[in-house]
Order: sequence, then C-alpha cells, then structure tokens
Amino acid sequence: MGASGIRTLSRSLCDILNAVGTSERHGTNIVTLVNFDYRGFDTLGEEYILFAAVIGAVLLMRTHRGEKTSARPGKVSEQPVPLRTDAVALGSRPALGLTLIFGMYVVLHAQLTPGGGFQGGAIIGSATLLLYLGFGYRTWRQVMPTAVLDPVEAFGAGAFVVAGLAAMAAGAPFLTNLLPLGKTGSVISAGEIPLINIAVAIAVSTGFAVLFVEYLEETREPDAGDEE
Amino acid sequence: MTPLQIGLYLLTALSGAAVVLTREPRRQAFMMGLNGLVLALLFLTLQAPDVAYSELAVNMVALPFLFLVTLAAARINQHRRQEDK
Amino acid sequence: MNHAAFLLPAWLFVIGLYGIITSRHFVHLIGCLTVVQSSTYVLLLSVGYRTGAGAPIFADHPVGSPAVDPVVQALVLTDIVVGATVTALLLALALQVHKRKGTLDPQRLRPLRP
Repeated sequence: MGASGIRTLSRSLCDILNAVGTSERHGTNIVTLVNFDYRGFDTLGEEYILFAAVIGAVLLMRTHRGEKTSARPGKVSEQPVPLRTDAVALGSRPALGLTLIFGMYVVLHAQLTPGGGFQGGAIIGSATLLLYLGFGYRTWRQVMPTAVLDPVEAFGAGAFVVAGLAAMAAGAPFLTNLLPLGKTGSVISAGEIPLINIAVAIAVSTGFAVLFVEYLEETREPDAGDEE
Repeated sequence: MTPLQIGLYLLTALSGAAVVLTREPRRQAFMMGLNGLVLALLFLTLQAPDVAYSELAVNMVALPFLFLVTLAAARINQHRRQEDK
Repeated sequence: MNHAAFLLPAWLFVIGLYGIITSRHFVHLIGCLTVVQSSTYVLLLSVGYRTGAGAPIFADHPVGSPAVDPVVQALVLTDIVVGATVTALLLALALQVHKRKGTLDPQRLRPLRP
C-alpha cells in the first residue's frame, strides 16, 4: 500500500467515525468518543505515562528533602522577598472559584462540547495555583496536604482500570461500554464515558497539584534539624 | 488554506524560533507562554478546539510556572551553597 | 491540505534541535525540547485537517456535515498533557543535577567522574 493508499484508508476511517459516532455512542464530541471509548486502551496507557512521570518527579524531589514541610520562604542573596500585593490577593480569590467551576464544566460536558478529563484536569490543577496566590502558602498547603493528594491521584488512575475490569467481569472485552447510553445531548449520556472522564480528571488535576506542591516546597527554607 | 491560517503558521514559526533564541531562561519561560497562546490559536483555526484547550491550560499556565519555580529553586540552592562555604 | 503546511513542523523540529545542541543551560534546553514537542502537534493536526471542514463536534451542526479527522486530535490532546508532566520530570532531574554539582551548564559537567 502506497502513501496515497494509507491516506485514503485514514480518510475513510475518519469519515466512518464522524458518521456513526453520534448514533453508536450517543455523544456529540467525536474526539472524546475516540479517546475514552474507541481507543480507550491507548488513553489508559497515556494516563499511566502521566502517573509514572509525576511519581518520578516527586521521588526525585523527596529523596533530597525528606517528607517534612516548612513555610519559611528561601533566601536569595540579601534581597528581601517581595510580598504579594492586596490587588493580587483580591483578584485571585474570585478567579479561583470561576476557574474551578469552568474546569468542572469542561470535564462534565466532555461528550457534548469541546473538553474532557485531560483538559479539565489541567484547568482544575492550575486553578489550585490561584489558591496559593490568593490565600498564601500556608493556607494552600493546609487545604491540599500531600498525604491526601497522593492517594486521591492513585484512586483516579486506578478507577480507569476498574472501569475496564468491570466490563470483563460482565463477560465483555476490556473497557467495553456496557452502561445505558442515555439520550444524546444530555450530561448523563454516552454510557461510562462521563465516569472515565471524571476518573481521568481526578488523576490529572491531583497530578498537577502534586507537582506544584513539590516544586514550590523546593523553594522553601528547611526548618532547623529538618535536613534529610 | 485561509489567510488567517497562513498568518498563524508564520507567527508560530516566529514564536517557536523566539523561544529557542531567547537564551536567558527566565525570559524564555515567558516566551513559552506566548508560544502556547499562538499555538492554541493555530489549533483553533485547524478546527481542533479540544487541543486548543489543552495547549492553553498546559503551555500558558502550568509549564512556565514550573520553569520559573525551577529557576528560583536553583538560585536558592546556589545561595545555600555559598553560605555553607 | 497544502503541502507547504508541512514546512512548519519541519522548521519547528529543526530550530528546537538547534537550540538543544547549542544550549548552555539545562532549563533552556528543556524549553527548546517543548518546541520540538510542539512540532509533532502541528504535524499531526495538519495531517488531519481538511479545507472547508468543521470541528468533529456535532453539538451545533448536524451529523454528516464535513469534519476534520478526530483520531489525530485525540492523540494530540492527551499528548500535550502527558508531555507536560514528562517535562516536569526533566526539570526535577535538572534540579537534582544542580544540587549535586552546583551548575546547570552541560559543558561544565564532567561525565563519569565522582
């Protein structure tokens, strides 16, 4: 098969997906249907690359620093660290709520309009930075303790596999979409795609949050007797 | 191709080169944010709104932040080393 | 899709590679790597694009109207998020190098020496 043959094949595959996706899976966003249903196994692998990368980064950071935390900012030469202004704090607080709601909207409407677990998770994870900007480092760490974030991330990654195994337990191949498909255009439709989406969003958003926490922890001064 | 797409293709070529040629890492982090915005607009004109979302959230917010924090942590390390000596 | 469109991914790949080779700072090097990554995104989306077609989302236009390839978009969209975490892993490695050797310049690191 030459290059033109491959091109024709991929063209016809794309046409078939665009033509039958909505009637077969009751969702209107074909990209999400491909991601979480037709090629769901691929996405499972992608999610575990993400999971492994986050774990690797966290392990690298913690080997040197230990698990303890400190709230004192680190020093660079003798310059005083500039404090955040009231305007930044005031702007960040409403922006935090709006960004979180937008992120959840993007996750929940994945099968209908542009969006999905990966994008929504990235938006929610980045929104936690506004918590840091608006309320300060100490509050940020209190709201999101690593002891909670780590297991929640593992839960999100594990739920995807559980969804696949549940289909196997029912006697169908891995990740078969067995739930009722619902009415096209409704938020609860397209079978288990919304559930998998939420699981991916949890894994991605907590993964980003863990990365932010670990990186910022790196810029803190260790307390006395806190080394290693 | 529409004129808008041609313009954005040229702009992406420029902003990608700008990220590489900005040799000072702190400035480069801000150039990366700009590059992410241009790429997101290009993806929108290529009829890929899902991808544009991803690109915006990741390359405009998360990555420049991680780069800046890495640079800050490196400077603090340097300071600690000098104090220890 | 016009074949001239494939010049952009090639350009981004080459300029990113040039930056990686000539970089004197690990953080700058990783920044150049993100440009190389973005070349693959542009390549895949250009392959899937069709002139005059809409987005593969049939929320506001009827099923059956011409749309671009959804498969490449699904590939790229996961790749962007996963690529970001891998970049974070590389940054963590760079930070470890700085902690152990006190420099981020690849030229000043002597390999295979304690």
